[in-house]
Amino acid sequence: MSYQVTVEPTGDVFEVEEGQTLLDAALRQGIWLPFACGHGTCGTCKVQVLEGDADVGAASPFALMDMERDEGVVLACCALPESDLVIEADVDVDPDFSGYPIEDYQATVVAMEDLSPTIKGVRLQLDRPMQFQEGQYVNLNLPGVEGTRAFSIANSCADAGYIDLHVRLVPGGKGTSWIHQSMHTGDELKISGPYGQFFVRKSDDKDVIFIVGGSGLSSALSMIQGMLETGDTRQIFLFQGARNLVELYKREVLTALAEQYSNFHYIPALSEVSEAEQWNGFCGFVHEAANSHFDGRLAGHKAYLCGPPPMIDAAITMLMQGRVFEADIHMEKFLTASDGAKADSRSALFKRI
Amino acid sequence: MVAKKLNLKDKYSLLTRDLDWDYDYADRKEAFPYEDFEGIKITDWSKWEDPFRLTMDSYWKYQAEKEKKLYAIFDAFAQNNGHLNVTDARYVNALKIFLTGVSPLEYQAYQGYAHVGRQFSGAGARIACQLQSIDELRHVQTQIHAMSHYNKFFDGLQDWTHMHDRVWYLSVTKSFFDDARSAGPFEFLIAISFSFEYVLTNLLFVPFMSGAAHNGDMATCTFGFSAQSDEARHMTLGLEIIKFLLEQHEDNVPIVQKWIDKWFWRGTRLLSIVAMMMDYMLPNKVMSWKEAWEVYFEDAGGALFKDLARYGIRMPKFVETTAKEKEHISHQTWWIFYNYGHAAAFHTWIPSEEELDWLSEKYPDTFDKYYRPRWELAREMEERGERFYTQELPQLCTTCQIPMAFTEMDDPTMISYRASDYEGEKYHFCSDGCKHIFDQEPEKFSQSWLPVNQIYQGNCGGPGVEDVLRDYYKINLGHDNMDFNGSPDEQRWNAWKGTEKDAKNKDAKDKDKDVA
Repeated sequence: MSYQVTVEPTGDVFEVEEGQTLLDAALRQGIWLPFACGHGTCGTCKVQVLEGDADVGAASPFALMDMERDEGVVLACCALPESDLVIEADVDVDPDFSGYPIEDYQATVVAMEDLSPTIKGVRLQLDRPMQFQEGQYVNLNLPGVEGTRAFSIANSCADAGYIDLHVRLVPGGKGTSWIHQSMHTGDELKISGPYGQFFVRKSDDKDVIFIVGGSGLSSALSMIQGMLETGDTRQIFLFQGARNLVELYKREVLTALAEQYSNFHYIPALSEVSEAEQWNGFCGFVHEAANSHFDGRLAGHKAYLCGPPPMIDAAITMLMQGRVFEADIHMEKFLTASDGAKADSRSALFKRI
Repeated sequence: MVAKKLNLKDKYSLLTRDLDWDYDYADRKEAFPYEDFEGIKITDWSKWEDPFRLTMDSYWKYQAEKEKKLYAIFDAFAQNNGHLNVTDARYVNALKIFLTGVSPLEYQAYQGYAHVGRQFSGAGARIACQLQSIDELRHVQTQIHAMSHYNKFFDGLQDWTHMHDRVWYLSVTKSFFDDARSAGPFEFLIAISFSFEYVLTNLLFVPFMSGAAHNGDMATCTFGFSAQSDEARHMTLGLEIIKFLLEQHEDNVPIVQKWIDKWFWRGTRLLSIVAMMMDYMLPNKVMSWKEAWEVYFEDAGGALFKDLARYGIRMPKFVETTAKEKEHISHQTWWIFYNYGHAAAFHTWIPSEEELDWLSEKYPDTFDKYYRPRWELAREMEERGERFYTQELPQLCTTCQIPMAFTEMDDPTMISYRASDYEGEKYHFCSDGCKHIFDQEPEKFSQSWLPVNQIYQGNCGGPGVEDVLRDYYKINLGHDNMDFNGSPDEQRWNAWKGTEKDAKNKDAKDKDKDVA
């Protein structure tokens, strides 16, 4: 049995298992809530329950006063949901967040292509246009697969009646295996969206660095196309990482964009180049490509990262050593079911990264 | 029409940072004279992220509720003679150390935050410090009230402010905070908010509060929970200050690293007293010091320093020494106090057979080999009527002010001795960590007020040790000091509990009448 918790004012949604605390569930699903002690004595993680019921758990009477209990305040680190909940937390809404409503859509698979040996492109037509911000994601209900699977939208919102996805085959992954092996054009799916806090911060005028790996290119492609199509004049740098040349997909499209727009710069990097491949570009990891391009001095940029957790981790370290910090680092981790299980214990130093 | 309710962020901003003003006829630098001299570079105070958003109106509302609840429990505790419910009178000696050694630090924290809360030109940082300052004042007051009940029935609690300023082992805690408060405002925050309140706070609070809870001390346990509910603000301020300094300018990184190195080591030395309390002074044990160190520093601190590494901050200097010290430090510290038990305002004792077994189990690699034989010898001597007290005054470490009795961690039979020369004088240290701290700031630490040196220089009365203890420290000789065995505390306890018949001490009778 699990419950769904919606966080106001951001609209983030996460699932809580029976007996699991709100804080534990939120942090494991990448949603930051304020916290400090983690065991009910400090009160940093106070949230207001707006709808639904929750057991306050082992909250200290000094950290959660009686008058607060009467008003439906709980400590996220102790509270156990007893129904679906809407909570209000002391988290800021990003001024660039549009907050488009999350709705259910009926989608039809209208095109599929092999982008690389491991990544498939899927084009879905929706029963009605979805309003979204480039960088956000959708959840797919796949036949025979329990739960939903999240994929980033790869197209700009110029064609809102469609959703493009880039799906990497996860070895042993039920959802991606089904898409790679059993999905056909004409299939119908239920999808919902848009989700997520990954989108272009348009109110900030800093130049932009994208660092992407694998199918993480999807959200970056959507964001970059959106920026270029709307006449954004910031300098935009895209660092795309892949193992080898065949995995470096969409290279022609991106090279053409770089020729068309003088403010867009495309820097691909290959980490396992073989002798046979004709490669004049950067050899090494994608974060090293970015570091080398800026000679270790990246201050004054906004960075958007999307890809697998080790790439994100290496990129954050590189960025911070180059003096780009949390407030200017935005990311979408492409987690698989196996990544979630081995979450490390982490400190409260960072909120979002 | 109903007015739209401001959200927390807007409300906080209007009621706090917005109350700051620009300086048009005064020089901002003159108004905040301490902001520059540490070498810290702040390029943009507006980047300070408020670690908590609490306006004064809600602050008073919440704190008043906490106080009502807390004092109701204190009253109930006193009316029910709550002191009779503690596991054993030996436990109260931990409270004596807390009240004389730690509660005055809460007061120093109140003063320190009030001071730095004036010295930052950024309004966000000023407000965070001012609120913490008020919290700290509340903490010292609640601690005094929690322990005032014990003062009616036990020795050694009667003159704690006086003792804090003078007594040799209390200078360990006092000088720690004096050092922080006489540093610049940014170092103060890294020392207290970050290194102490964030990195090491659980090692101080968990032992004391769980210790109280495990030993039937409801008053102390409750004030602990009440204080913990304020700690959130203090911990988040510690996190914000370090992020803010590291992000403001790259030149700040080596300065912050130097402070982390210094205050981590200063903190571990201060905590050696907590270590001995956990392993030796609690009749009902919570966990061993070694276990506490592993959980609260090695695991939790490890995750923190992994994150800090992204800023180019490494683990504190000498952290590898602490991994060895956790096996030894509590035993060596209790041994120091056992040796000097005649000069302390609390009691010491030899662990019981059961306690020795517990220590053997918790410290399989060191206790039987190095420490158990020592306690067994002390017991034999005591049984022969030869309980000994070391009569010589000890040499003190110039930095941490603890007697120089810690050993080399790779050779626990050899006293660790380090020295530095500065302006023709020789200074002595208990460890590489303490020597390193001195060498960084010899002009500061060469002025240390070292209790033993001061006694020998004749600045503490005398001429004999007893004169100093009685007249200068105001220790009530024969009551506050010496072994727990045979102490008035023990005799009164036995009389109250009806456990021994020889509780005929006159003094015990005097105090007894309050309880009857």
